[in-house]
Amino acid sequence: MIKLLHVEDDADIREIALMALELSGDFDVVQCETGEAALNQVQNYTPDVILLDMMMPGMTGRQTLEKMREMDSLRDVPAIFMTARAQHNEIEELRDLGAADVISKPFDPISLADQVKTAMQAG
Amino acid sequence: MSSFISNKRNAASLFFSSALAGGWYTATSALLSGQSGEFVPVVGAIVLAGITPLVMPLARSRTEAENHSMAQRLRAFDSHAIVNIVDTKGLLEEVNDRFIALTGYTREQLIGKPVSMLYDDAFKELAAEIRACLKRGDTWQGETPLRCADGRMIYTQITVMPMYDEQGNWTGSISARTDVTRANELLAERDTAETLYELRDDIWIVDAETRGFSYMNRSAMRRTGWSDKAYTAKTLDDLSDESGNDAILNACEELASSGEVITQLDTELLGKHFQVTIKMLQIGRAPGRFLIMLHDISDIIDEERMKSEFISMVSHELRSPLTSIKGSMGLLLSRAAGELPSKARALLEISHRNADRLVLIINDILDLEKIANGRLEFNLEDTDIVSLLRETGDANASLEQRFGVRIQIENLNTPIWLNTDPNRVIQVLTNLLSNAAKFSKPGDRILVRAEDDPNELRISVTDKGQGIPMAEQHKVFQRFADLSNSNRAAKGGTGLGLSVCKAIVENLGGKIGFDSREGFGTTFYFTLPKKTSQMGAKETAPLLREAS
Repeated sequence: MIKLLHVEDDADIREIALMALELSGDFDVVQCETGEAALNQVQNYTPDVILLDMMMPGMTGRQTLEKMREMDSLRDVPAIFMTARAQHNEIEELRDLGAADVISKPFDPISLADQVKTAMQAG
Repeated sequence: MSSFISNKRNAASLFFSSALAGGWYTATSALLSGQSGEFVPVVGAIVLAGITPLVMPLARSRTEAENHSMAQRLRAFDSHAIVNIVDTKGLLEEVNDRFIALTGYTREQLIGKPVSMLYDDAFKELAAEIRACLKRGDTWQGETPLRCADGRMIYTQITVMPMYDEQGNWTGSISARTDVTRANELLAERDTAETLYELRDDIWIVDAETRGFSYMNRSAMRRTGWSDKAYTAKTLDDLSDESGNDAILNACEELASSGEVITQLDTELLGKHFQVTIKMLQIGRAPGRFLIMLHDISDIIDEERMKSEFISMVSHELRSPLTSIKGSMGLLLSRAAGELPSKARALLEISHRNADRLVLIINDILDLEKIANGRLEFNLEDTDIVSLLRETGDANASLEQRFGVRIQIENLNTPIWLNTDPNRVIQVLTNLLSNAAKFSKPGDRILVRAEDDPNELRISVTDKGQGIPMAEQHKVFQRFADLSNSNRAAKGGTGLGLSVCKAIVENLGGKIGFDSREGFGTTFYFTLPKKTSQMGAKETAPLLREAS
């Protein structure tokens, strides 16, 4: 099973992503509502892949990843951003930050699991 | 422009009889003091000077001294006023020397001719008003243009009075004028100067040789903090040093060396954003002056920034709920929650399809907003268009299934390399393919062709659909163009797609168009230039671009 940490402030989107990932049967999903909560979570939990919403109240997805990258255990863990503002230059910046992929919202729940797996292999 | 003086018929009679009985001054003072109970301005009195030939014989009964004195006064007025007499038919009966000198006509060219020859067509209404006024026995006063022999117009302040014979019958009119052309020009110059001074834009006039300021209007003085005495001691170089901005100075230098007359630039100066227009004012071989106009666009930039942020925010806020809506429906349709009754599934498919459409509309609105602000990104790279067409065709295979059409791509034997933005070309092509599929009948073939030319590549998408009615073809690239047979909602169009395509193609330096015959089909095509190193992007004001 792939350990996936999903950080997303919108409860509905969290539920849809959870259902979509569980459909494949390959993921063990842990979800957090904020970047701060995710940073707490990773103190005792090391995911195989991180799925991060970009726009969140408090810490943004980018700030959250920057903090995570400071931790030895998470320095090389593939991270995938989800964003409703997927602009080309932003995508490039996120890739420079070490993002394995950037998924635009609205995303296709049916192909989400495959997209994550593909990004993990590429990363 | 004109003033109307109510006057009784006896005014002119009183004037003339006073002149005859008591001399010029009596007549004049009688009019000025309003003995008849009315007022006639002094210019009306000048009439007498203009009719010297008429008055002089009548004055023969006076003493020689009186006549001599009166003749002197009349000559003085004759040299000042421009006088003519017109009969009841509107024909010129008499003009004085001043009239001849000023207008350039000979007496022969005027006497017996209609007075209307002196006026332009626009004056006809006013002429009718004057004539009606005279018939009533009133005096008319105002300003009228007068056409000279050489065609130029002069402007005259005129008083027209009716004339009567001894029995009181109307015999015509007498007009006394003063040339006010120069006075009007001076007024206009003063108005221009005052307008420039009061203008909200900053106006500078700078000597092209010394670069010294020779004029600043109030707004410019306020902004620079220089008084009218201070700025004359300053130069453009001083302003560049003090503001740390030499863009205007450089633009002036370039303008002077280029021989061009006008240039424009955007720049930030003294804490504000300006659109600057520089015009070279030059007469002959003199060094000339720069007229520099600075229009403050700071507010426009702020508004654009706010608008852009608003659209971006709204689209983001719309995408989040759409993610949940589309995601939920997608999961239901994938049987994540088990099998659905067929009718429920059909309804869900409608909802899902329209959620997709909403996403497309939001994307198109965002693209158009970016295009309007010059913010749409173009990432040029060497691209094999042949591979790109093939991949786009494959990516749109779902159109074949959904609409029962077949997409055929032609002329793809050898690679065609272009320096362009492949993602934007795919966006345009996908849009055209989607339109073609929507307006085709099941079983139809959609043909995609690439035609290579030394200067450009032409890509076309041809369908055999219903075509676009001739009367509506001009609307095709308009936003939300409501074409009668488009049935946009049913076909899932956004109404924005072709506007976006047009903007993208033009930004890539190409052209987009179509040929259509109603009932036979449509070919949409776009061209891409072979040399795209110089993007055809329309230049948006850099400051606006930065703002957005």
